[in-house]
Amino acid sequence: MIKFEHVGLRYGVGPEVLTDVNFTLEPGTFHFLSGPSGAGKTSLMSMLYLGRQPTRGLMTMFGKNVGQLNRHELKLLRQRIGVVFQDFRLLNHMSAFDNIALPLRISGQSEKEIKTNVEELMEWVGLGDHRHMLPNTLSGGQQQRIAVARAVITRPKLLLADEPTGNLDDEIGLRLMNLFDQLHRMGTTVVIASHNTTLIKKFSHHSKLILDNGQARLEKPEKTMKQRLGDMF
Amino acid sequence: MIRFKKKERSLGVAKEKRQYDLPLNKGAGGNFLKVLMGLMTILAIFALSASFALSEMTERWSSGLENKATVEIPAEDNNGNIIEQATLNQTGKDILSFLENHPHIDSAEIMATQDIKDLVSPWLGDDITFENVPLPGIISISFKDKVDINYSALENRLKSFGEHIRLDTHGTWLTDLLKFTGALNFAAILISTLIMITTIVAVAGAVQARMAAYHEELELLHLMGAGDRYIANQLQRYSFIACLQGSAIGAVIGLIFITIIGWALKQKEINLLPDFDLNSLQVTILILLPLFIGLLAMVTARQTVLRVLSKMP
Repeated sequence: MIKFEHVGLRYGVGPEVLTDVNFTLEPGTFHFLSGPSGAGKTSLMSMLYLGRQPTRGLMTMFGKNVGQLNRHELKLLRQRIGVVFQDFRLLNHMSAFDNIALPLRISGQSEKEIKTNVEELMEWVGLGDHRHMLPNTLSGGQQQRIAVARAVITRPKLLLADEPTGNLDDEIGLRLMNLFDQLHRMGTTVVIASHNTTLIKKFSHHSKLILDNGQARLEKPEKTMKQRLGDMF
Repeated sequence: MIRFKKKERSLGVAKEKRQYDLPLNKGAGGNFLKVLMGLMTILAIFALSASFALSEMTERWSSGLENKATVEIPAEDNNGNIIEQATLNQTGKDILSFLENHPHIDSAEIMATQDIKDLVSPWLGDDITFENVPLPGIISISFKDKVDINYSALENRLKSFGEHIRLDTHGTWLTDLLKFTGALNFAAILISTLIMITTIVAVAGAVQARMAAYHEELELLHLMGAGDRYIANQLQRYSFIACLQGSAIGAVIGLIFITIIGWALKQKEINLLPDFDLNSLQVTILILLPLFIGLLAMVTARQTVLRVLSKMP
């Protein structure tokens, strides 16, 4: 699904922040993206959500060489990706409902379909009573859930989340991770950038993509889900 | 139990139906654009009205004097000797007879003495008596349509009736006058064009400023897979509505001003100045001006947005 081959990235004429990144993420897999501060997690995430093109190397997504796609093809590819930004990036002039509905409107769905899908998802994330509220009047946890709902409303093939638990207390963070886990089980490829080691350990059945010195390595899960269930019983 | 007032209950609730994905209705930028378009429209109404009035005046003068000439039989000869009235009248009759038989002349008419007195009285004053003033003879000529007149040959022929006789084709002063009104008309059209260019520059600037102010929101839409046209549609709709609103108010104010100016000119009874009575086509053009400015703003906004977005990866 995603393949990076000798990918490098630099900003302007500065040094390369990513020097030689190589990895392959299979469809329907779950990965934590971790690494020390300044390792380039955010830069890698921005390439994954097609906000930035690599300055060298080959980046393949959904079987297509990203560097050779035109604007229209890139637009269609972006519509298959859901992103939860670290700072949520909600539109504060719009209601919670309209924020979540935005990707559906962009992809051209009818208002009837939008109403049905958004209301259902808002109930599911526990925001059914807040559909007309403006995001900046809601709590951090509620905003987080709007951001997640917005990212998953189109049932994306790839879900990216940048430090999604950064602003949340442990309980809400855990609930959010369980939500991502559910989506993964429904077939979505999930990549979560996080430096929360406690959280990563709790979900140690997922593989880790570790960035260090501008390079990436994929680590297999310490224990599979089956082994974890075996330990529990 | 705490009871909240209605206003308090509505805090934090989205009141309006969603119009745009970008917060375009927030901030003072929209009002600035509306005010600017209003002022531009007032100026455009003035410039276009002036242009229409000048065109009408030119047309009136041109059509009034087209295919026309005047034969003047001065009351004194080239040596300054006063010609007797009887001689003057006879010369006039001879020339009239000649003109009536000329193949290129449609009609010729000797101007009545009273008409000549009326014509010259404003220059001489009301208190003068015409009994001792020698008056010239004047013959008005209308040429046939689509005939190429050799004025020089005609004047030479007229001079056979008397060296002092002149043919005035009005050409010299009419040409100068038409050049003058033409220059004024050109200036009015130039001002209208400058207003249109200013509108384009202002809208493009306003759209670019909005895009810079909402760069993060734009980037978000872009990353969600919003196409350039999707984003451009929002900004062009916003620009069209804002400019149409501002321009419509400007058009109303401008038309009120024009009506007042027209009324004031009529009260003054200044015949030389152009009439500000606009015909239905001209009124339609002025009424449609806001729509034109709105469409111009819409196209400008679209092109600006597409140009800026093309720089995004």
